Amino acid sequence: MLDQQTNERRLTIARAMAEAMAQEMRRDPSVFVMGEDIGPFGGIFGNTRGLIDEFGKDRVRDTPISETGFISAAVGAAMDGMRPVVELMFVDFFGVCFDAIYNQMAKNTYFSGGNSSVPMVLMTSTGGGYSDAGQHSQCLYGTFAHLPGMKVVSPSNAYDAKGLMTAAIREDNPVVYMYHKGLQGMGWLGTEPGATVHTPEEDYVVEIGKAKVVREGSDVTLVGLAMGVHNALKAADKLAEDGVSAEVVDLVSLVPLDRETVRASVAKTGRLIVVDEDYHSYGVTGEIIATVCEHDIGKLKAAPARVAFPDVPIPYARNMEQFCLPNADKIVAAYRAMQKAEG
Amino acid sequence: MATDVTVPTDLWEGDLEAVITNWLASDGQAVKQGALLAEIMVEKSQFEVTAPADGTLTITQAADAIVRKGDTIGRIG
Repeated sequence: MLDQQTNERRLTIARAMAEAMAQEMRRDPSVFVMGEDIGPFGGIFGNTRGLIDEFGKDRVRDTPISETGFISAAVGAAMDGMRPVVELMFVDFFGVCFDAIYNQMAKNTYFSGGNSSVPMVLMTSTGGGYSDAGQHSQCLYGTFAHLPGMKVVSPSNAYDAKGLMTAAIREDNPVVYMYHKGLQGMGWLGTEPGATVHTPEEDYVVEIGKAKVVREGSDVTLVGLAMGVHNALKAADKLAEDGVSAEVVDLVSLVPLDRETVRASVAKTGRLIVVDEDYHSYGVTGEIIATVCEHDIGKLKAAPARVAFPDVPIPYARNMEQFCLPNADKIVAAYRAMQKAEG
Repeated sequence: MATDVTVPTDLWEGDLEAVITNWLASDGQAVKQGALLAEIMVEKSQFEVTAPADGTLTITQAADAIVRKGDTIGRIG
């Protein structure tokens, strides 16, 4: 183990992702990276910086703006023995290439009766908060997690970002790796200092499908992923000032979903608030609440609550977008409403 | 003797302001010369600030601070 006091090594998520890809490319010649502006530019979110200098343009391939073409090509390459990491620059652009993603990438293992696997990573940026409007700011976690055949992960910090990328590249099933732009450490996308954490240099794996209790508490469970974890941690700080002890669960993965960790936490606290930057309806928040309710409703001391993005297109105007986004104050207000309902 | 950590003067053209986007080393941490200390951004481009000497880092300009070429953002003593 590294001694964090004397060998601290803080990385942004952008750097952690690039480091994991570089290490796997050194280890395994079948790994290559493909996408728009991922070569000399280093990715518009910084997550492929330095790769083309070390590995050259055959293994770090800049593509035209033709997502259907290059994501389909990645599926074919994966089925033919390669391990592509392919980038869909903004998840919002899935509309032009979803056949490649959910009819080919997600299903070809099943369609082939298990004779072919599709060991590829689709990395894609999510989230808003920096006024980039409704076609560059969505999360769409529920959209991807809903469809069978793909693993889905979304890190909240650089340590998990590196270990999840390494795990995703080594995984024989397709993995959708969703990284939140506001956690990348890129400045112009907003800055969340809590995402830039100590990250070991040696390679390691963060298990896909395992949630983490990132703060222990006894009065209420706050469940989130990616930016939602940071909102929940800030809410937990505010609640603590009033003597309320909040536990925070970082889902880390949506598929497979670690329902046991969520249920164990709610069994302890009896109260559940789910935080999600994806839309309110038909999404992660409803799935987490159902996970608890269909298991043992007797554990709940209050009706669960959700703090999510309202069911409207994401506004461009800063004041309107900020009004819609989840934040710590909304989580605290949800807890207060829960207390009031309990009497 | 302490050495100032300054914003390099040769990373970008003109007299544009920059913002410290991330400190990748902590206040009070022992650092080695050449280690990556911070990232600064100018018009969506990121640049690196590295340690000019071995020693203990003191951060004098926090993340989100607006800086210019040559500004002192920390000290290594």
